[in-house]
Amino acid sequence: MTREEIVTTINTVFEESFEIEPERLVPDANIFLDLGLDSLDTVDLVVAIQKKFGVQIRDDERVRSIRTLGDVYQFIEVIYNEKKA
Amino acid sequence: MKRVVITGMGAVTPLGGSVSETIQALDDHRHAIRRCPELEVCKGLRSWLAAPAELKNEKLIPRQNRRSMSRMSIFAAQAALEASKQAGYQPALFSPGKVGCIAGSTTPSPITIHQIYETFIPTRDFGLIQAMQFFQSMSHTVAMNLAQYLGLQGRFLSTNAACASGLQAIGTAYELIRAGSQEAIFCGGAEEFHSTVTGVFDMLLAASTKYNDDPDHASRPFDAARDGLVCGEGAGILFLEEREHALARGATIYGEILGFDTCSGGTHISESNRECIAQCMRQALTNAECSPSDIGYISAHATATLQGDGEEAAAIHAVFNDTVPVSSLKGHLGHTLGASGPIEMIATLVGLRKNRIYPTRNLTSVAPECQGIRHVTEIETTQATCFMKNSFAFGGINASLVCKID
Repeated sequence: MTREEIVTTINTVFEESFEIEPERLVPDANIFLDLGLDSLDTVDLVVAIQKKFGVQIRDDERVRSIRTLGDVYQFIEVIYNEKKA
Repeated sequence: MKRVVITGMGAVTPLGGSVSETIQALDDHRHAIRRCPELEVCKGLRSWLAAPAELKNEKLIPRQNRRSMSRMSIFAAQAALEASKQAGYQPALFSPGKVGCIAGSTTPSPITIHQIYETFIPTRDFGLIQAMQFFQSMSHTVAMNLAQYLGLQGRFLSTNAACASGLQAIGTAYELIRAGSQEAIFCGGAEEFHSTVTGVFDMLLAASTKYNDDPDHASRPFDAARDGLVCGEGAGILFLEEREHALARGATIYGEILGFDTCSGGTHISESNRECIAQCMRQALTNAECSPSDIGYISAHATATLQGDGEEAAAIHAVFNDTVPVSSLKGHLGHTLGASGPIEMIATLVGLRKNRIYPTRNLTSVAPECQGIRHVTEIETTQATCFMKNSFAFGGINASLVCKID
């Protein structure tokens, strides 16, 4: 999966699950302050990512440091590559 | 004791997305029973009919509230918003912690429960279950979503006695306000349609199976050709308020609740019992300080089941003889289960305020076991002000409420 495909897939999750308009889905957007997610939303963000990418990230400590949409892209890219390796 | 009045009403029903749309449909003698393809594909399910409500404008509910709502909670929130607007409800007009929320449904969201197990059983993977599905599949999902949506901080209760849930919520709210513990309460019931709901009634031989090709005539309470109920969905929410509080703020009063009773029959897990129903109605009258002759109309529970309608008719005969007009709105609406009590109570109240009694649709030949009471088969003009609403549920649960229009 390319970086572009990851971005597209993640953005789809934010559009479908959290009803965020596409134009607001920029890498610098803080998922809490700018996109309005809260702790419960992050639970479902993790579930949606696990479904979309076939990965297990619920216990991954790196999830806690995610702040921006760009962090999400980066984290998934790393995870996805780890899985592939 | 305080007096308890109705200052707001809201409904989403198979006949419309508001009280006025529902009343218009009743005035037009329309019904909401449809053949449902979703049911036809279920093996072993013989009843293919439903009375669906339309889900629309749900995105007007903020996502932060809506995310934990299934269809039934959305219906309830929309009905509550309608009731809130009609009542002119503003939190600042009430004391802190004195506006409560009591609501119920037959089950938590059957749609969400289905989705959860559809995901979990083949995978055994809890990592695929969403947090929001959990909140939609709790027994108090309707009441808790309603309280969150409206920001209510008063008394909270979820009534879960199947088809009596909604009327029990109203009755309990009445008792709390009457006792002085709350100034006002949003109360009622909600339900959502799913094949498993119809499946339960079909399994218990209580769903209509002979009218799959003739939905217009399927739901026929008290009729000789009835063969069971048709499941519906929707929500009915009332805003009950302590009378002096309502008068002080200049609210419009639409009706007053005079008495209520709910009881367990203790005789059979599924069958209605005429003596227990009669006892419930008598106790509601006693609590209302009314005699049978004070009641000008009875909105029956009658769902069109073979056993239940006969028992209710016999009970009404025992208490009221054949003097009081009786009808069931399930010929129009289907059986909206936990929402039926509030929805039918609201329709009755609004109808009586227009001097109108709505009939039992499809009642063309009264069954022998349903005779002995005064059936209403056409829209009637009335001067009645006081009515009784009945709701019953599996488990031998009975609920009767006495209300007076204002």
